[in-house]
Amino acid sequence: MATESTSKKRKAVTRDSSESEEVVLSNGGGDLGSALIDGFQVHYGDEIDGDSSDLLEDESDVEDEHGYGEELDSDEVPSDGEHNVQDLVKEDEVSRDTSPEEELNEEESAANYQITKDANGNLRYVYSEIDPVYDSDDSDAPATTNTIGNIPLSFYDSYPHIGYDINGKKIARPAKGEALDALLDSIEIPKGWTGLTDPATGKPLELSQQELEVLKRIQMNEVPDDGYDPYPDMVEYFTSKTETMPLSAVPEPKRRFVPSKHEAKRVMKIVRAIREGRILPYKPPPEEEEDDLDIKRYDIWANEAPRPDHPMNIPAPKLPPPGYEESYHPPPEYLPDKDEKKAWEEADEEDKDKDFLPTNHDALRKVPGYTRFIKEKFERCLDLYLAPRVRRSKLNIDPESLLPKLPSPEDLRPFPTMCATKFLGHAGRVRSLAIDPTGNWLASGGDDGTVRVWELGSGHQVWSVRLEKTEAVNVVRWRPGTDAIILSAAAGEDVYLMSPQIANLTPEVAAKSREVADAGWGYAANDVKSKTRKEAVTQWVRPGSRLEGEGVLVRFGLRKTVKVISWHRRGEYFATVSPQGQTSAVAIHTLSKHLTQLPFRKLKGPAQSVQFHPSKPIFFVATQRMIRSYDLSKQELLKIIQPGARWISSFDVHPGGDNLVVSSYDKRLLWHDLELSVRPYKTLRYHKKAIRAVKFHQGGLPLFADASDDGSLQIFHGKVVEDMMENASIVPLKVLRGHQIKKELGVLDLDWHPREPWCVSAGADGTCRLWT
Amino acid sequence: MAESQIRIQLSTRYPDISLRENPGPIVVNTSLRRYALSTLVNTLLESEKPVPFEFLINGTFLRTSLDEYLTANGISSETTLAVEYVRAIIPPLYLASFEHDDWVCSVDVLSETSPAASGTGNAAFKPGQERIISGCYDGVLRVWNMSSEIIAIASTSREGGPISALKSVKFLSPTQIATCGMDRVIRMWDYTEDAENLTASLTPRLELYGHRNVIASVAVHQPSSRILSASWDHTVGIWSSKASDAPPAPGELLPSHRGSKRHKSEPSINPQRGPLAILRSHTAAVTDTIFTPNDHTVAYSVSQDHTLKTWDIPTSTCVDTRSTTAVLNATVSMPALNLVAVGGTARNVTLIDPRDSATSVSAMTLRGHKGWVWSLASDPDSAYGLVSGSADGTCRVWDVRSSTTDKSGKVGTSVYSIERESAKGETLRREGGDGVQVFGVCWDQKVGIVSASEDKRVQINRGQGIFGGNPV
Repeated sequence: MATESTSKKRKAVTRDSSESEEVVLSNGGGDLGSALIDGFQVHYGDEIDGDSSDLLEDESDVEDEHGYGEELDSDEVPSDGEHNVQDLVKEDEVSRDTSPEEELNEEESAANYQITKDANGNLRYVYSEIDPVYDSDDSDAPATTNTIGNIPLSFYDSYPHIGYDINGKKIARPAKGEALDALLDSIEIPKGWTGLTDPATGKPLELSQQELEVLKRIQMNEVPDDGYDPYPDMVEYFTSKTETMPLSAVPEPKRRFVPSKHEAKRVMKIVRAIREGRILPYKPPPEEEEDDLDIKRYDIWANEAPRPDHPMNIPAPKLPPPGYEESYHPPPEYLPDKDEKKAWEEADEEDKDKDFLPTNHDALRKVPGYTRFIKEKFERCLDLYLAPRVRRSKLNIDPESLLPKLPSPEDLRPFPTMCATKFLGHAGRVRSLAIDPTGNWLASGGDDGTVRVWELGSGHQVWSVRLEKTEAVNVVRWRPGTDAIILSAAAGEDVYLMSPQIANLTPEVAAKSREVADAGWGYAANDVKSKTRKEAVTQWVRPGSRLEGEGVLVRFGLRKTVKVISWHRRGEYFATVSPQGQTSAVAIHTLSKHLTQLPFRKLKGPAQSVQFHPSKPIFFVATQRMIRSYDLSKQELLKIIQPGARWISSFDVHPGGDNLVVSSYDKRLLWHDLELSVRPYKTLRYHKKAIRAVKFHQGGLPLFADASDDGSLQIFHGKVVEDMMENASIVPLKVLRGHQIKKELGVLDLDWHPREPWCVSAGADGTCRLWT
Repeated sequence: MAESQIRIQLSTRYPDISLRENPGPIVVNTSLRRYALSTLVNTLLESEKPVPFEFLINGTFLRTSLDEYLTANGISSETTLAVEYVRAIIPPLYLASFEHDDWVCSVDVLSETSPAASGTGNAAFKPGQERIISGCYDGVLRVWNMSSEIIAIASTSREGGPISALKSVKFLSPTQIATCGMDRVIRMWDYTEDAENLTASLTPRLELYGHRNVIASVAVHQPSSRILSASWDHTVGIWSSKASDAPPAPGELLPSHRGSKRHKSEPSINPQRGPLAILRSHTAAVTDTIFTPNDHTVAYSVSQDHTLKTWDIPTSTCVDTRSTTAVLNATVSMPALNLVAVGGTARNVTLIDPRDSATSVSAMTLRGHKGWVWSLASDPDSAYGLVSGSADGTCRVWDVRSSTTDKSGKVGTSVYSIERESAKGETLRREGGDGVQVFGVCWDQKVGIVSASEDKRVQINRGQGIFGGNPV
């Protein structure tokens, strides 16, 4: 039964297959030639013999589906349509059966089929695939076409193949190069290499020479087609050349070069029509539609009455009319200069005092567009949208105004401003000068060895005495107090006390002065102790009859040149300084005892100046760099003041006693607040040369002055407030010039009037001056 | 060019030069200047001898043409301009200089119009024999005639003694002179001239002791024979010029002859007297004092304590104190205006109304000096005139009618400035009146402006035509 069925089957298959081939051809590739079909049939016929077992095997398969086979048998000659369907089904079966045994395809030449066992243990012929070789001479079709459709290739990632070709054959995944291959590939990049993988084939995508050229042309913005010339040469349809032998010798007609009258006529016609309004040259703008009555508008400033300034009241913005600044061509004085322009540009938007910069344009047509237009509109919209109801009040504080303000010198009057009187008479420099306690007389001493007394207002010399012929008078000072008139002066190493013949020296006062000066004679004579001890620093003596006749009362000598005399306020003690004297530099003298003491056995550095405290028993000694204050009653050092100057020239104690002003040869003036620190509270550098002297006004005016080698005096306002919390205010007021500089020396000394804001100065030019 | 015209209304404060019938507004050409207007007024007055006039319009003297004045002040030429005319102060011309040995401190003039002569009538004074006395820093009192000859000379310092400057000299009467100075003594001198008026003698008559410091100034009142003195010892002294009236001198102030060997041989032969009263109220040196011209019982004094004080002499009390801003050096009274002019270190002259009713201290300030004002004198011709001598080496003539108002009140400027003749030749500009400070000034109707200065000269300046040819 099996053989019978197989033969039957074989016939059927054979016939079926040849017929089905024809049908398929007629359906799928109808344009093939019949010769080709014949050839195929011949080839096919050869195969049929060898494939009989396969057919048998196939028959057994068909046996399983019994009904089907029956049907096939009954329909021996089916119609074309039916046959077609059957054939398709058969073919489907075949393809389905063969697909697992693909590996057997290679052995086609040897055997067309393979015999395997199926699940039931029966023999099974597995026929190898028949290669129809369709694509043998089809050049247009791609060599391999993946038929998986438009799906990502990644779906096949888990398979060894990447799809199927048109014949249902698996397209093998191309062999991936090993790492070495990849390296070699990367080293030798072939022309047209893209580094991409063709998704269709999975192979590296390489561009052909032709494609590369197309790309290059596209890159160059050229037409991609090869050989296309977008600018061909002009085709001269009409020749531009004047021919030597023209076809016609007729001269150019006049109408060629005369305006056409006809055209003029036509233009005029249009013009006339435009003038008469028959033609409108432009489209008339559409009539503005009346505003929509639905939108309500409110004019909040319609009935505005002037009201006082209040944050909740926003007055109508009444802009001032534009000025010259806003002009496109403003007068030059309105144009900002470079600095103003820069300041404006750098200023914050908020800080700009005006929101435009006056700019000059030669002509109105050169004015550029308004750059801020959009911004301004935007801000306006912002204003409306945010609806500010409170005006922003800007806190406009000038940082300068936060600084403590120095009062103007005008408000600090009175102070000396000009030279009122000159005192002429000294030969050589005037070294020192002093105004007497009543304020009417001026005593001065100079290089000519004389002490002179002048009437302060008029400048008339009223008294003069020559103390020394060779030595200069280095210092003159009045004894404080008006009960007696005693003037002390130092010439060379000698100190003199004298009673000048001035008008207020009434017999009464003269007697008193003599008494004060002479009180110590008895004491000195009785004091045997000091004499015997040989410790008496000096001997107070009568100055000799010549000087006695002039009014000099007492004289005593020290070891070195005396440069400074400083009186205690009560007129009982005075101190002298001779900077050269080592141990005897500072001496304190008691007038009523004619006693001289050397309180400082050892001083650090040469002594420069001394002062008594105005109210307390304190004594200040200035050495070259330091000022030391000593308590006289306890005999101890109180404080060391360090002005930081390299060489102190002079200092003065404020009448209040808590402040000190120090002048130095290194051009500095230093204000010390003794309560505050031992360091200067303020340093004033206003002079170009060394400062020689400094003095406070002693009569209640907040003034002090210094005298410098640059020939000028400077007046300062120096107010000391009683309140401890407030510091002294120091304002430079005035520079008084007038003294001439002689041999690098300018003003050597100065003094204040006891009441008035007047000061006197002693110049190296041999004059004294009164400044008021 | 069409010349514009303006109507002016002429007026004057002086009855003797007023127009007989008011002519009403007069139309004048605006190109007229002072001279033309002066001629016009003289024509209207029909005066035989033309008088120079000055014209005050709105408080300023006309110095330009009317046209320029109108332009400068922005006045329409259609208004009627009120023009006040006054006798012109003739520019004081330099007349003479009297040379001295030392700085001259003070001067006084004796003429028929001077206060000293007018008090006694003309009996004691021979017209035409004007005398000038000068007090000098060398302590010498000199009497000059107008031919710059010294008629008499007297020294206040004792021989060999210290030289004490004379700060102030005054004619008490044609035969009496009062001097004071740095020797703290007021001296009365008898002055007698010989018949030819060529030489004269000065004999000390009286020495008044009582001050303890420089006596800066004396003021004399001849009818009551009272003397006022201002001293740097902060006091004002009242003295009698008659030895019989005066109390004895305070002994402690007399120079002691015992102590000094030198002066033992010459005891003072002159009577020494003390003060009638010493007025103490000032707190600093008193620099000048005057009698009120109309009332010799009232005195003014100025001091370095910045105040002007009014004194009642019979009771010796300080009636009123007016404080200014600076040291005061000189004062003069302007009785017609009830003002007192004071000058000092503020470099200006301040007019003060000393009456109780006055509200402000300063009625007017006269500005222009560059140095301290040392002395003041009033114009003998006019109640509005002043002259001031200053440390800047000038005398300035002021007319208080000419004034402007600025923020500090009424301010006047000087009409004329008299330079020192000694400083004129110098090409180098003196610095602030160096060496030519004017210490004393006196203005006499006959003699003119006499000023004493640091340049050791007394300088006389006089407006031309005043002497002998003065109208009225």
